[in-house]
Amino acid sequence: MESPLLTVSSLTVKFGSLVAVNAASLDVNRGEIVGLIGPNGAGKTTLFNAITGLVKPASGRVTFKGVDITGLRPDKVCKQGMSRTFQVTRAFAHMTVEDAVRVGAYNRCSEATVRQKVDQVVAQCGLSEVRQRACGDLGLAPLRRVELARALATGPEILLLDETGAGLTATELTSFMDLLLELNQAQEITLVVVEHVMQMVMGICQRLFVLESGSMIATGSPAEIGKNQAVIEAYLGKRGMTA
Amino acid sequence: MIETTVQAIITGVMMGAIYALIALGLSIIFGVMNVVNFAHGDFVMFSMYLTFTIGTLLVWDSVQTPLLTVPIMFVFGLLIYYLIIDRTLGQFWVMQFAATVGLQILMRSAALIIWKGQPRALQYSIIQGSIHIGPFTILTSRLVAAAVSLIVIGGMALFLNKTWAGAAMRAASDDLGAASLMGVNRRRTYGLTFAIGSSLTAVAAALLMSFQQIDPTGGMRFGLLSWCVLALAGLGSLPGLLAAGIIVGITESLAVSFYDPRIRPLAIYAIFILVLWLRPKGLFGRR
Amino acid sequence: MNKSKRILSGRNLAGSIVLAAAALVPLVLGHSQYNMILATTVMLYAVLATAWNIIGGIGGQFDLAAGAYVGLGAFVTGTLLTRWNITPWLGMLVAGAVAALFAASVGFPLFGFKIRDLWYSLSSSALVEVLRVVFLMWAAVGGPTERYLGGSGSQLYRMRFGTYIPYYYLLLVMLVISLVLVNRIRQSKLGFSLLALGEDEDAAEVLGVNVRASKLKALMIYAFIAGMVGGIYACIYGYIHPSFFATDLSMEVAILGIVGGLGITWGPATAALIFVSMREFLRARLGGEMAGLYLVVYAIVLILVALYQPLGLAPLAMRGIERLKSMMGVKQRGITSAHGK
Repeated sequence: MESPLLTVSSLTVKFGSLVAVNAASLDVNRGEIVGLIGPNGAGKTTLFNAITGLVKPASGRVTFKGVDITGLRPDKVCKQGMSRTFQVTRAFAHMTVEDAVRVGAYNRCSEATVRQKVDQVVAQCGLSEVRQRACGDLGLAPLRRVELARALATGPEILLLDETGAGLTATELTSFMDLLLELNQAQEITLVVVEHVMQMVMGICQRLFVLESGSMIATGSPAEIGKNQAVIEAYLGKRGMTA
Repeated sequence: MIETTVQAIITGVMMGAIYALIALGLSIIFGVMNVVNFAHGDFVMFSMYLTFTIGTLLVWDSVQTPLLTVPIMFVFGLLIYYLIIDRTLGQFWVMQFAATVGLQILMRSAALIIWKGQPRALQYSIIQGSIHIGPFTILTSRLVAAAVSLIVIGGMALFLNKTWAGAAMRAASDDLGAASLMGVNRRRTYGLTFAIGSSLTAVAAALLMSFQQIDPTGGMRFGLLSWCVLALAGLGSLPGLLAAGIIVGITESLAVSFYDPRIRPLAIYAIFILVLWLRPKGLFGRR
Repeated sequence: MNKSKRILSGRNLAGSIVLAAAALVPLVLGHSQYNMILATTVMLYAVLATAWNIIGGIGGQFDLAAGAYVGLGAFVTGTLLTRWNITPWLGMLVAGAVAALFAASVGFPLFGFKIRDLWYSLSSSALVEVLRVVFLMWAAVGGPTERYLGGSGSQLYRMRFGTYIPYYYLLLVMLVISLVLVNRIRQSKLGFSLLALGEDEDAAEVLGVNVRASKLKALMIYAFIAGMVGGIYACIYGYIHPSFFATDLSMEVAILGIVGGLGITWGPATAALIFVSMREFLRARLGGEMAGLYLVVYAIVLILVALYQPLGLAPLAMRGIERLKSMMGVKQRGITSAHGK
């Protein structure tokens, strides 16, 4: 059996004396769709930031494709084949959609092939209609697709998606999920998904990791997690403590 | 060698207090309003020329000039805020940058017109002479200036901590949204802040004019100095500002004593770059 | 693909016509020394502002150190000629390289630590003055008196002409090169990287953009051009002096770049044409009576533009043109993204 594509070992992230992520570990195998869930403020985005190099961990290791990438600069992480989206859409507000995608495309493409890549990604993510519009003018659903398209253009082997489902309507959500499944199956892109939207979590994730107050408290299939006592308590609070 | 060092340190400490005062207006404006006033140094230069004019016309000593220069610069600050700065808030940074750089050119050329680009100095000052302690000399003018600087900085701290206006300014710098919910009027608070920053330059000007002269290029010197002190100090701490001023004063003084007086800008620039490189938040910054 | 169409686009056609007209200027104005000086000065600022656009308009770093690179370029070229009789035609290139390397060494630490752009602007503005002071003290190459350029050889070799016309053409060539360069960069990986990091540095980094390297590249290209201009500057004046490290020039270059339109290729050059001409016109009219009054007027105009059209006059002009075109029924093109910061 092949070793995991991405391994996070005992990662700890501190801001001053505040421990945002406490010795968290997870592993992702090639081709999987893994979910990272947990209550608000659990440290999920911080964990992503540490994995992708935006934040330096205090201790622990991140191994990708067998290479230690702990604390590596974000653009180098991207070159290795890992891309991500952001929770609050960080659009390039004044750039057009196709220009934004092009930025990502340059990660792997030369000047000769970059336009072709942009066309391909734009079409795949259903952005052909809005490709010439400024990102700042778009609504939430197309903006999410732009975030995805940008990251996709970098030619990643693994995509880290941070709450891409939030705020979408049921229809938008379904088509987004279809797109993700297609990326995973047809293009063999491994996905790690931070999500609150249960439909997405249950719908596409094969395995889940649960983070609470910086610590990993459970892992397993969605069905198992749904029955896990610790997880239920984390979300709903301890029973029997009400006044 | 040791004597020179100690003498340099003594001078440096005194000048440092004055430098802290020069940077004080900037610190408040930048700290409270997050406004980058490229023209700050030229405010100081302008105040010094103003001090010269008033002192010469009314035959006042430099210690008396703040009676007029402070209100004038206060009003001037209000004007500049409402006419220019207010409009740049919340917009692309390029607007504030271009506007304050334009302001810098404006003030420098105004100084050229009014005072014909000549260096000017006050003829006469009550504060003369020097004190001798062993082998060391302390120029009275510097000592007085340093003392007054300390008093003003202390006064500013009191103002910020004990008055409603000061509290409003502090609140606005922390969280404008919350502050406005509690009745802090943004425009009035910011206008007041800018005006205070402006009038502080008048105080510094009076002190400086008691032992220095001014020329139109002074704006650049004081600007670099202020930003250097501010960078070293970080935001949010008045004692920190004082400490930073003193560090800069001592370093500059040592450099000048052991090398060459003309090396002054280089010494300050070196400190500035080092700070930005090694500790961009400043030594005492909270933000 | 559509490349040929792009080159022949309306904008580039208009630009080419203007440049061709510029080439004919000396024929019209050549007889008047004063007018030629004016034209050469405009051209000088046009080149500097266009180059500035690379770091300032596209890269979003408002550099205030143009005077540092021009001064360095002048000193390198002048010293090479006077000491070792190296022709400024070569000296210019060396000057550009020196300026670029210097810019990189100063920029390197600053760009590495995610410092807010304002600190870059501040430190760059201080740099000019510091260099001036250093060169005032550096007796070997500088010092307080003018150092007249020496060298032996023909006028052409020493690049010392009796009239301004050759310098004008030289600068015009540099302008064309700079314009082409800016255009190419905007369509390249560097340009897109710069625009992206100007919008959001973190997001850009995560997409594989090497933020520091991109900024340094932009800075070095700009400094190289400024250094070359400095070399020409020295030859025009016939001497070198620390006053060449001019803060006023540095600020004007930045302001022209901003007012012209951040990131728009021909914007800064147009701004140079309008504003430098206006400045000289004002100086001629008002300068005698009150030195500095023309600067006051100039500054007020700049402040007004800054407040009411901070993205520059070019977008305004372009919107005007688009509106005209739609009124005439001509098909629209999307307005190219040029960010404001």
